[in-house]
Amino acid sequence: MTTGSETPFHRVEQRDTQPDPGVPSVDYGLIRAHVLASFATLLISVAFGLVVATKLNLPEFLGGHAWLTWGRLRYNHTQGIFFGWLGNAFLAFLYYVVPRLADRPVLSRKLGWLLFWIWNCAVVLPGWVLVAAGFSQPLEWAEFPLVVDAFVVLAFILMVFEFVLPFLRARLSDLYVSAWYIIGGIIFTMLAYPVGNLVPELVPGARGAAFSGLWIHDAVGLYVTPFALAIAYYVIPATTRRAIFSHFLSMVGFWLLFFIYPLNGTHHYVYSAIPMAAQKGAIVASAYLGMDVILVVANLLLSLRGSSGTVGRDVPLRFVWFGVVSYLLVSLQGSVQALMPVNRFIHFTDWVIGHSHFAMIGFASFIALGGIAHLWQRIPGTRYNERTMNWSFWLLAAGLTLMVADLTIAGLVEGQVWASSAPWMESVCAVASYWLVRTFSGLPILAGLVLFFTSLVSGPGPSAAITPVASREAYIPAVEGDASISHEPPSSGRIRHAHVIIFGAGAGFFALSFLVLAILPGKELEDEIQRVAPVTMPTLTASEQKGRVVYGREGCAYCHTQQIRSLAEDVRRFGAPTEAWETKYDYPQLWGTRRIGPDLSREFNVRPRDWQLTHLYNPRLVVQDSVMPPYSWLFNGSPDRPTQEALDVVAYLETLGRARQLSGLERQAPGSSVQPGTADMVMAGEPSARATPPTVPIAMTGGYSLSAPVLHPASDPDDLQEEVSRGGALFAANCASCHGSGGVGDGKASASLLPKPANLTAARFSDERLSSVLWNGVAGSSMPPWRQLPTEDLRALVAYIQSLHSSGAAPSTQGATSLNDGESLFAANCAGCHGARGAGDGPVAGGLAPQPTNFHLKKPDRERALEVLANGLPGTAMPPWKSQLSVDQRHALAEFVRSLYGPPQEISRE
Amino acid sequence: MINLIVIVVSAMMLALLMGWWRWPAFRTWFEAPKHSMLRQERRFDDQNATRTAARLHSSQGS
Repeated sequence: MTTGSETPFHRVEQRDTQPDPGVPSVDYGLIRAHVLASFATLLISVAFGLVVATKLNLPEFLGGHAWLTWGRLRYNHTQGIFFGWLGNAFLAFLYYVVPRLADRPVLSRKLGWLLFWIWNCAVVLPGWVLVAAGFSQPLEWAEFPLVVDAFVVLAFILMVFEFVLPFLRARLSDLYVSAWYIIGGIIFTMLAYPVGNLVPELVPGARGAAFSGLWIHDAVGLYVTPFALAIAYYVIPATTRRAIFSHFLSMVGFWLLFFIYPLNGTHHYVYSAIPMAAQKGAIVASAYLGMDVILVVANLLLSLRGSSGTVGRDVPLRFVWFGVVSYLLVSLQGSVQALMPVNRFIHFTDWVIGHSHFAMIGFASFIALGGIAHLWQRIPGTRYNERTMNWSFWLLAAGLTLMVADLTIAGLVEGQVWASSAPWMESVCAVASYWLVRTFSGLPILAGLVLFFTSLVSGPGPSAAITPVASREAYIPAVEGDASISHEPPSSGRIRHAHVIIFGAGAGFFALSFLVLAILPGKELEDEIQRVAPVTMPTLTASEQKGRVVYGREGCAYCHTQQIRSLAEDVRRFGAPTEAWETKYDYPQLWGTRRIGPDLSREFNVRPRDWQLTHLYNPRLVVQDSVMPPYSWLFNGSPDRPTQEALDVVAYLETLGRARQLSGLERQAPGSSVQPGTADMVMAGEPSARATPPTVPIAMTGGYSLSAPVLHPASDPDDLQEEVSRGGALFAANCASCHGSGGVGDGKASASLLPKPANLTAARFSDERLSSVLWNGVAGSSMPPWRQLPTEDLRALVAYIQSLHSSGAAPSTQGATSLNDGESLFAANCAGCHGARGAGDGPVAGGLAPQPTNFHLKKPDRERALEVLANGLPGTAMPPWKSQLSVDQRHALAEFVRSLYGPPQEISRE
Repeated sequence: MINLIVIVVSAMMLALLMGWWRWPAFRTWFEAPKHSMLRQERRFDDQNATRTAARLHSSQGS
């Protein structure tokens, strides 16, 4: 019998003792199936992660196979965690908790099994296989191809029927916070997923990136966080048998999460071409979110007040507690790293990788593990092995702590190197040991997960699995408001109104997030593109487009950004900031969120094709310390036998920055160089300001300067010896892969380079010549500019290279007559290219690359000169003269060009 | 736009806090679900304990 009374907010009902209306059924078979699937996919995903981490130290590890390459494994690692592990774990908990919260069973057992098979056999497994086979999307948290995405959306629609409908038909007069999170998580992920996965395929470049940014954050904020918090809010009171501290605060936290989280997305693209108003909006939202998390975590931890002993004893609760504390720390970290002064330093570094592992393991996975352990104990007839699970907890906690600390420090190191003028490879070498530690930190995590699963299947028998009924009275303390609980259907239909409110308000903010952070910025970007873009911007050819697809499928964008930020550090290193119009044909955008290798936005016209192909075949042939994986399956056995796909990739690389250079926007003052004090670029609203970079980039951006500083080695013998010694080390690290350790031009990469790397022992080079080559590179060859090295290093290299040539070369044995003959022959045959005075400035020299030799700056050995005269220089305009000139004539010519060495005024023999 | 969002969200939170402070019944209504959740948990646990015990007895009997 019930009596009731009305208040303005709630129909307070008081019940006499009456029979329980019946407990809804729970499908424990589905729970077991999802738990099993979650651990199977988790262990596979972690194994993917371990291989990916190992490859950063051992790039050849499992190399040579397309299916096992870094990029594809990286895609499958995160998608496996996202869908396989967390998806199945959350689904297992939903089958357990929805009947309890809704007092109704889930909609249908058959639908549940259909959902299980779709989730695992139409999403996770096909997704993995397709990504491994090269069908993927190069979008963060959206790597599975579109065909799989369709099944993900279908699965979420089925989840609405399976899990949300029971709440709509609930017999409870009120809805617990976990239920709100479950409903919100399912509905808003269902809405956000297609937007984040499909829209970037339809909206190009910067505009698409705005949508991608939203999804990157929504994936965590609308999918992972709500379900994890639903578990935390359930497990804590269910274990301590005390109500949470405040349901009011929990609901405030819930609403703030769903209002604020979607507005965070653009903080992944701070200092980018996306309008600054959207960036600042996302930063403000990030700060707001930090406050929300403080509120949520305070409420959860206050719910544990007086239960510290329980946290110590109950392993599932300890997992959840660890997850809650991690949630606080990682969220505050996220809020701080969205702030511009921090973001400029740590973005793209391993700090962010540490942050994401902290979130996905420390927060989401620990809570999911706690939830699974909690429900496992309550499945009739099952228990976990507490001792094994306890070990699992400590192994996981230790591994995670080591990993996050290690990656955070690595990120700081990378940020420090990137902010300096040190060469890019220094940042790679500087964090190599941190990557090694990170790999090893994965081992206790893997062991902990294996132990956790072992604990589930090795628990005591069913006799130990009886719930302690004697203690059940402790479940419900006599607290104010307890009398208001009713299991009668709500006569006022208030619950239905509550659902309307949540859906209406949440959908409103969800729509607002897209309006504020994607649609309005997109419109602004569109206007800017129309205003700024060159009229004749070239599109990609079919080959270049195919190369772009290969670039995406191999995960290149996950190590190389195509997004130079409006920061002095970026501009100095890579060139002018990326503007929206440059990406107007990028479907989808390939901006990237991480830099292991350098940004490639300005790759056009920087390196010759044979260098690119050699680098693609085996990066360490040309960059000794590179950690880039080899893509040997794109070749027929050697770098000079590329497949069409390899040629397509290189063709695509050569388009990066092409439109900008062809448009004439890449104006660079000759002779300008790195200015350490360069201020950040003007940003939003002033594209014209962004269009003119203030400096010449450090390297790799073309714009050969004619005014290289002349680097004179030390004159003091002791100092010179020291310079030569240091130059030797620098040469070994930077030059030996092409020029060989002895400098004779026989390095590992030389076989596939044309023209061949110079034999540095066979000629004498002047300070001016070496300075110019080191500063500018050699156009038309694989020799890149090295001006990113400190001046003292370049000087040391000059000293070392000059030391390679024996100064005791035999003096000329030819007389003046022979020199005169040589001069005549030179004027008749060579002056067109090399110039009348042998300065490499003949009438046709301007159209040649590499440019003809300036013999005033380079004195080849006699044998070398004769060899070149006889056979020419393959890969250059220098032809063989064997058939046109006699041996004597070639000797005369060789002596003549050797006699030119030195300042031009000194060679006049008039 | 950013200011508007911040003001709207702050106003909503302030309104909730005011309601909490001004009307005790509002407080009661808001806090009720946390108790019903515990009641539900007990109902399910009791049922599971009963089922497990019955299964145990039947397996021992056979």
